[in-house]
Amino acid sequence: MAERELALLNGYLIVGAALVGIGMVGFISRRNLITIFLAAELMLQGVSLSLIAWSRYHNDFGGQVLVLMIIAVAAAEAAIALALVLMLFQRVGSLDVALWQRLREASQPPLVDHELPPESPEPPPVWPKLPPAGVRPTIPREELDFRPHV
Amino acid sequence: MSDVRWLVWIGCALGGLGLWCSLPPRGASSRALGGVLGFSGLGFLGAALPGLADGVSQVVFWILASVTILAAAAAVTFRNPVYCAIWFGLALAGTAGLFLFQGAQFLAVATVVVYAGAILVTFLFILMLAQPSGRARYDRVSVEALVSAASGAILVGVLATTVLSVLASSDARQHALQVPPHERQQAILAEDHVRQIGVHLFTTYLVPVQLVGVLLFVALVGAAVIGARGNRAPENLSAPSGGWTVQKSEEVATPPLGRNHG
Amino acid sequence: MFSLKVLLLLVPTLPLAATLLTAAFGPGLLRNRSHVPVVLAIALAFLASLGLLVQVHQECSSCASFEHIVTLWTWAVVPSQDQDVEHLARGTNVPGGAKLDVGDSPPLTDKEPASRGPLRKDFRIEIALRADPLSAVMLVTVTFVALLVAVYSVGYMHGDPGYWRFFTYIGLFVFSMTMLVSASNFLLLYVFWEAVGLCSYLLIGFWYHKPEAAAAGKKAFLVNRVGDFGFALAVFLIWTTYGSLDFHDGLAGPGVLGEQRCSSGAFAGGTVGTAICLFLLLGACGKSAQLPLHVWLPDAMEGPTPVSALIHAATMVTAGVYMVVRCAPLFAVSVDAQQTVAVVGGLTALMGAIIAASQFDLKRILAYSTISQLGYMFLGLGAGAAAGNTAGMFHLVTHAFFKGLLFLGAGSVMHAMGGVIDIRRLGGLRRVMPVTCWTFLIGCLALAGVFPLAGFWSKDAILAAVHERAGEPGPASPYATLYWLGLVTAGLTAFYSLRAFFFVFFGPEQIPSEAGGHAHESPRSMTVPLVILAVASLIAGAWLELSGSLASFLASTPSLHALGHSKHAAASGGHLDVAAWSTAAAILGIALAWLMYVRSPNVRRGVVRAMEALGLYRLSAEKFFVDEMYQMLIVWPLEGVARLAAWLDRRVIDGLVDLIGWEPRGLGALLRPLQAGLLPLYALVMLLGMLLLLGTLLVS
Repeated sequence: MAERELALLNGYLIVGAALVGIGMVGFISRRNLITIFLAAELMLQGVSLSLIAWSRYHNDFGGQVLVLMIIAVAAAEAAIALALVLMLFQRVGSLDVALWQRLREASQPPLVDHELPPESPEPPPVWPKLPPAGVRPTIPREELDFRPHV
Repeated sequence: MSDVRWLVWIGCALGGLGLWCSLPPRGASSRALGGVLGFSGLGFLGAALPGLADGVSQVVFWILASVTILAAAAAVTFRNPVYCAIWFGLALAGTAGLFLFQGAQFLAVATVVVYAGAILVTFLFILMLAQPSGRARYDRVSVEALVSAASGAILVGVLATTVLSVLASSDARQHALQVPPHERQQAILAEDHVRQIGVHLFTTYLVPVQLVGVLLFVALVGAAVIGARGNRAPENLSAPSGGWTVQKSEEVATPPLGRNHG
Repeated sequence: MFSLKVLLLLVPTLPLAATLLTAAFGPGLLRNRSHVPVVLAIALAFLASLGLLVQVHQECSSCASFEHIVTLWTWAVVPSQDQDVEHLARGTNVPGGAKLDVGDSPPLTDKEPASRGPLRKDFRIEIALRADPLSAVMLVTVTFVALLVAVYSVGYMHGDPGYWRFFTYIGLFVFSMTMLVSASNFLLLYVFWEAVGLCSYLLIGFWYHKPEAAAAGKKAFLVNRVGDFGFALAVFLIWTTYGSLDFHDGLAGPGVLGEQRCSSGAFAGGTVGTAICLFLLLGACGKSAQLPLHVWLPDAMEGPTPVSALIHAATMVTAGVYMVVRCAPLFAVSVDAQQTVAVVGGLTALMGAIIAASQFDLKRILAYSTISQLGYMFLGLGAGAAAGNTAGMFHLVTHAFFKGLLFLGAGSVMHAMGGVIDIRRLGGLRRVMPVTCWTFLIGCLALAGVFPLAGFWSKDAILAAVHERAGEPGPASPYATLYWLGLVTAGLTAFYSLRAFFFVFFGPEQIPSEAGGHAHESPRSMTVPLVILAVASLIAGAWLELSGSLASFLASTPSLHALGHSKHAAASGGHLDVAAWSTAAAILGIALAWLMYVRSPNVRRGVVRAMEALGLYRLSAEKFFVDEMYQMLIVWPLEGVARLAAWLDRRVIDGLVDLIGWEPRGLGALLRPLQAGLLPLYALVMLLGMLLLLGTLLVS
């Protein structure tokens, strides 16, 4: 029984660690403010996982209560942070974090974006063609027999 | 023990490599490769874990864990921020499932309701307000992808090896035996779990609950204030002293609310 | 009416007081009356030294050798560290006496007074002055010439902005020189040796705005320093050999030149003795401008002419001669040293005369003449015995008179001609400046050694001493060659001195434009000293020689007394051949000069061409290339070392310091990219830091 508990604990802790790691990577490398914040939330989820695991291991509700607190705090943080992000957006009209480099040292060059290869434009959405109302649509035979997608 | 460590490190390395391959500005094929690498890394990590007793629990746990982790990786890697948010929602679902697996029913539901239902929706609102056309230039670029992925991998590796080594020691086993299973059945894994947690919330943890209430209230007021004060004319950033310049000329418009370029 | 002690103290103290007065009140109060304290003080000092001379003379008539020591106070005492010095003292009544630790010198015989306490080798320096015939003669000479030069300077330096400074330095110089001559121990002698060197530097570079003057002052001081180094080594050797630095016998034991030692003859011989004498000679060469340290004296002519007359003709350069005469007993023991002195003196005399024959700067001619005459004095000293030393001192006194006269005359010419001293630009001045002309002639004839002027007797005495020494039986000595060298030099001396005279005062009248069109005789303050010195040059030599007083007077000095009585007075008749030869050489020189410069320019051209063909003209005009040799051998390597040191200091040491200064900046530049202002980068750095922390925790 003890092994099972330990194994469970092991697994959850590692999954939590993985989540924290992934969230960390996202926080560090993305440039959209919202995405950065999202990654932070991911980290919080990882921590919650660990807390739940410990709570079960120690047979103590404290962990779960703390997770509840985390959820509440995440909510509060989301509210405030998003309000701030909105304010920043209103100043520069963009969600790019690289627009805000004023805190750098005077002699450091700013981050400069290199030209990116042009993105292939998204294909225009294919809207279904509907016949006018009251008219029975004529469906070709191949479509009835064979459809490319489910 | 050491081969478990090797497994962990290999898994982390593969995962990191996969992340690096998937982060923007990499193309689609690179991202596919990244996915494969990440999956194999997960496999190694999974192999490093000590196994749960019965097969069903093991499989369920693995499925839930891999779904969560892969969804998290996707949330971090995709270009379109809305997609990121959606994948985050899936990750939240995964964690809710994991909570359930541990017996934390209330929290599982709370996660889905509050996190996925409220916070995620708020995210999406802001995204829609700020970036309705979807992908922007800055979403297709990342900052120091290699270093970030490498340090993330190292972080996970360090944490994982620490956990595994600590929990494999005899002290841990001693500790684990201290709580007999039937006690656990009665407390944390009890049938009336919600009642139990409610009792604890309102007796042992009353003060933190009240404080959380106050915190939420303060956050509410704060958000309102910030939001209200933000309705001012935008700054002119034509000569960015701290700003950002692009090598090809691309104007950074200072539009009123809602208008921007993608 | 004044006691010997008071007179002895007055002579240096009066100029010192005058110096301090002029230094304090010169710029403000006295200004162009700054000469008053100094001239007055030197005059009084002269009277005091005359009185001293008279008293010493009186004392000497009654006893064989006389010295009077006045100890003012004890400067320093370092007690002997020797614990077992007691066993060296064998008590008060044992006739064996105490044996001093004197190296390889012979032990003293048992002439110790029985009541002396145990001998301890304390290092004891007292401010002790002495009055004996030698110092009395020197004092009179110094103060006499100094007085005349000071009076002359009143006219010469009139209107100079540094008037008070000049007289301050003159006063300081007279004080130092009189103290040097009256000092009774080697350390005090050394101190004032340096002090006169300092005064010489100050006075040579008097017009310090002129770069040549400043450089000349520096050169004089540096070359003197080389000599002083030798002198210092000699003093150290004397201390270790004789255990005392005093001249006189005193509390510290028998002095180096005290009566005790002189009578017992306990002087160190062998290597140590020769070493002491050679080092002393080095010191004398530096101060008295002998080969190879003569290079500073011609450059010293950049100073004002009174300075040249006082310091570089009559007084300071004679300090070396005085010192050698004072240490005559030390030299008497070492034949090698004596011969070295004679050779150095002879070669210097010849070289100086050769160079003077081709110079066109009047003061340079006189400077090389001084070098030559000092060489003569050293030649006389090197002949040894009382005769040579007395002859050297005699020549010192007479040379002070006529060389001072010549320099003052040159100054008078310069003053009238607006600072021009190149003899090619002057001519026929005998009508314009008669007094200067005829006094200059008297000086030239005295220098040439024409009977019956002063130079004749003194030069004759030197040559006689050398001839006598050459005639002595024994191993081959250089004295014979030196005798003939001396004769040749006498001829050359006559030649160049009359050459200068004829150039300047004879021939067509040629006054340079700097004279301002109204060249005239110099004022009375300048001509009166000229006349006085001319009279002295006329009669002093004959009087001193024929009365034999100088020789016998000097023989009463304790150190000279030991050398044996002068045989000179007895055998004066046997020196007629020397007199004849030297007069012939002088007449030959005068005749050649007259022929070349007054009579016939063809002769002049012919002689010059002959000299050029022989290569001698070039050698003479370029001063035997000694300066160039010094430049190559010493100055350039030193400059190279200095440059290397400067480079090391700038690049290596300063570079290290700069590196320390650069290091924070470098570190900052390394760390600055961390502050890029980009939020994700900050987070990355935080993560890396946390990883580092985790890593260290895990590892440890």
